[in-house]
Amino acid sequence: MTEAELASHEWWEQYKETVNSDPEMQVRGHDRFNENFYVQLDDERFLVAMDDGKVSEVIPNPGLNQEWSFGVEGGRGAWEEFVQEVPPAFNHEIIASNYRTQVKGESGHLQLTGNNRQIFQNLRPFQRALDLMRHTHNNGGNL
Amino acid sequence: MNEREPGTVEEITGKYVHVDVNGTTQRVYFEEAGPEDGIPLLCQHTAGCNNQEWRHLLADEEITDEYRVIAYDLPFHGKSVPPTGQEWWEEDYTLTADRFAATIVAIADALELEDPIYMGSSMGGNITLELADWHPDRFRALIGLECGAYSPGFYIDWLDDPHVNTTEVNAYSCWGLMAKQSPEQTRRETMYLYEQGATGVFKGDLYYYSVDHDYREKLGDIDATECPLYVVNGEYDYLTTPEDGKEVAEGVGDGCVSVEIADIGHFPMSENPVLFNAYLKEILADITGERSGRLPEVLTPDDVGVELNRTEARAVRREAEEAE
Repeated sequence: MTEAELASHEWWEQYKETVNSDPEMQVRGHDRFNENFYVQLDDERFLVAMDDGKVSEVIPNPGLNQEWSFGVEGGRGAWEEFVQEVPPAFNHEIIASNYRTQVKGESGHLQLTGNNRQIFQNLRPFQRALDLMRHTHNNGGNL
Repeated sequence: MNEREPGTVEEITGKYVHVDVNGTTQRVYFEEAGPEDGIPLLCQHTAGCNNQEWRHLLADEEITDEYRVIAYDLPFHGKSVPPTGQEWWEEDYTLTADRFAATIVAIADALELEDPIYMGSSMGGNITLELADWHPDRFRALIGLECGAYSPGFYIDWLDDPHVNTTEVNAYSCWGLMAKQSPEQTRRETMYLYEQGATGVFKGDLYYYSVDHDYREKLGDIDATECPLYVVNGEYDYLTTPEDGKEVAEGVGDGCVSVEIADIGHFPMSENPVLFNAYLKEILADITGERSGRLPEVLTPDDVGVELNRTEARAVRREAEEAE
């Protein structure tokens, strides 16, 4: 398990390495995943810049000079649950979290923001990129 | 699982049966395993998928020793192609509660099944409420996996849209419906099956699932003393939660029981067949009266003697740590 705190500089460096060496991001055309997305934990926002299925950089506190297509927002507690090796139900995947938030009106889950068309056009690699946060946090494994 | 010696031929057979559904003949594909005089166990797949979701149940010799397991492809799904004689390409495929229930009963009739147990998951779970209400005399028992009185929010336009890769999106919009502790191989297989659906069929099924099916005010219409109803929902199912299952059982009353199945999600038979088949044996034993005592509110892997694959993940981690 990585010793770094979730979303610390060291953690994101490890994440970048995990994504960029992931074979799944390079199959079935996902090497064309070029949509930047952001991850927000409480008030901290990180822009994950994607370049042909690889993370080119992670930019804290992105501003007017950056662009992104979509993002995921949630409290740090929800993210801490999401990256657990065996995450609890409903914070174990983004569509699950988003459904409990948007359709069921529950709090404490992650929520999607941004351009829905671009989310669905890139759903699989975007989802994989998020799952790789769990891989980063737990040093691999199939969960 | 199910790794067999090369040359092994499994006992599962595939056939077609011609079925009259509301005046239209449908050529329905089904696979079966088990003795001809076994208790018929009729299995319905989830929205947009096909009978391959039951492939591991059909290969479970403990179950097929006693039960005649029959898993069919609903028309428009898998090998049950759209009906000859209809210009089906001129209209969107849309599944309604009436059409769905009529098809299931027509298949049971065409196969001349006597007192079958019906079991389905997701939309196949929800339809147990219509079957219990409209056709209680046709079945010995109904098992609604991932069943709820109302399951809104999944009739989504992006699931049939020219701007997205619907094959992939239909599958991976379901990825989070499974528990992360289910084996990765079977979770990936489940998604692979989902990628085989025809354009528009998943969304058309979801019209029934998220729009037409609404039993919130009608649970009292069901008399489950005529035909026992089991509502069995996975811990990780975010669409129809175990809590939703309890509400169904409370609304229906006598004859209906809800059971939460732990550490599993919305595709139990497919995402973790070892664990699901073990859970199912408890339910079936309750139906046949072989089980002593009431079913618990929550069935866990420990209750049925199944070890989860968390150890596999830990082994990978240990290996990585040792390599450092």
